[in-house]
Amino acid sequence: MRFRLCCYFIKQALINVISNRVVHVICLGTMVISMLMLAAFLLLFVNLNSWLQECGHSLSISVYLQDGISKNTTNRIASAIKDLPAVEIKSFVSKDSALKDLKRFLGAQAGLIEGLSNNPLPASFELVFRDVEGQHSDLQEIKGDLEKIEGVDEVQYSKERLKQFEGLSSIVRTFGLVVGGLLCTGVLFIVTNTIKLTIYSRRHEIEILKLVGATDWFVKIPFLLEGAIQGVSSGALALLILFFAYSLLCAEKLHFFTIAVLEFTFLPQEYIFMIFFLSVALGLLGSFIATGRFISISRFFDL
Amino acid sequence: MIQLFHVFRNFGSNVALSDMDLIVGRGEFVFVTGPSGAGKTTLLRLIFGTEKPTSGHILINGINLNRISRSKLDLLRRGIGFVFQDFKLLPRKTISENVALALEVTGMRRSFIRKKTHQSLRLVGLAEKENAFPLSLSGGEQQRVAIARAIVNDPMILLADEPTGNLDSSLTKDIMVLFRSINLKGATVVVATHSQELLRETGQRTISLNKGRIVGEK
Repeated sequence: MRFRLCCYFIKQALINVISNRVVHVICLGTMVISMLMLAAFLLLFVNLNSWLQECGHSLSISVYLQDGISKNTTNRIASAIKDLPAVEIKSFVSKDSALKDLKRFLGAQAGLIEGLSNNPLPASFELVFRDVEGQHSDLQEIKGDLEKIEGVDEVQYSKERLKQFEGLSSIVRTFGLVVGGLLCTGVLFIVTNTIKLTIYSRRHEIEILKLVGATDWFVKIPFLLEGAIQGVSSGALALLILFFAYSLLCAEKLHFFTIAVLEFTFLPQEYIFMIFFLSVALGLLGSFIATGRFISISRFFDL
Repeated sequence: MIQLFHVFRNFGSNVALSDMDLIVGRGEFVFVTGPSGAGKTTLLRLIFGTEKPTSGHILINGINLNRISRSKLDLLRRGIGFVFQDFKLLPRKTISENVALALEVTGMRRSFIRKKTHQSLRLVGLAEKENAFPLSLSGGEQQRVAIARAIVNDPMILLADEPTGNLDSSLTKDIMVLFRSINLKGATVVVATHSQELLRETGQRTISLNKGRIVGEK
């Protein structure tokens, strides 16, 4: 496309925006609020997901070993566990350590186990999940794999906690998709109607342009650019507002009785780009739908 | 240049044009006359492609308008100048911008557009008012702006619907001289008018319409 035409289209798009500034400001405001809500929700989702992952890492699987196995067998079990992709060894608890831990846990009642001639507690490996995503579906398989290792007596894990985390993560994801979808539909509707209003206000000019031989694309491109301008401005503004709000309201870590509990981070770069391009895409799509309507009108009048 | 074969145009039960056969050669100057509702404007709109015939065929420079795509029709229109009865000027643009519109769509260079626009406005005697807005001009001046826009891209066909309806006799003569000079440069000119005075003074081919039919030709 020739440079002069590009300049013409950009100039026309800016003239459209300026001459219909009230409508555009209202549309921009609505788009910014919608994109801000979407971005804020995404920010919450990203942090919640990372907290869930951290919690997922704190979930453990206990692999109890048979009594009387040699050190070689213990090493073989350790290397067999290391070969499993879903879990990693957090610690090894020997029989003596297990007994010490129990005594510490019982405190004043530790005397109850003083008289035992043999240590009844098994040695164990404490395992954690490498990634919380999709762990539940593989859990039985992981347990089965661990139990197959020679020298392993029993495998235990906290099923309920895991289910709770997975359920919460799934609710957040579904809620995010529904809210995000509704917000995007709303934005699309607003942009489409704004561009339709602009087209309506310029209908005489469009008619004359068509009469002097303008192609459909010549008429449509400034409106598409107008939608893109809306998308770029609202995406950038929404992200800026979110960043300022984040900087003002959120400390790096959420504190609970002066103890830093959870880290609250800003959106990762890929999500920032995603929000921005989504905003531009919605602006373009909205104006594309609106100009499509124009084409059907101009066909009706044989222009 | 312009050929119509058995062209009918109906608007519901109203017949605007009926079984119209017409051939206008390249470089011809033709007047179309007749009372109001005779079908003059419909005929021009059909030739311009802003209306489609109910039946029949229209060929412009050998191209059948029934078989042409929308995008090709847009390009074809760039070679046809049309002077509308209601001028069709944009009130928020200066007259210079209004005239330039016909060249803007072709993607010509800015300097070329400026030069051609100025030339065209000078031809209709409005060069000194190029920064004025249409609503600040008289009806006759607006008519001349519409003519300037129609001729700015040196069209192969010039269609004019009552182009002198708002002009006094002196300006009418000037405009007819202008049309004649465009015609002498090779453009085919079709002028719809009901001005008997204008027809008396010219020795050009004249087609008379009544109730959508050709009723006479001289």
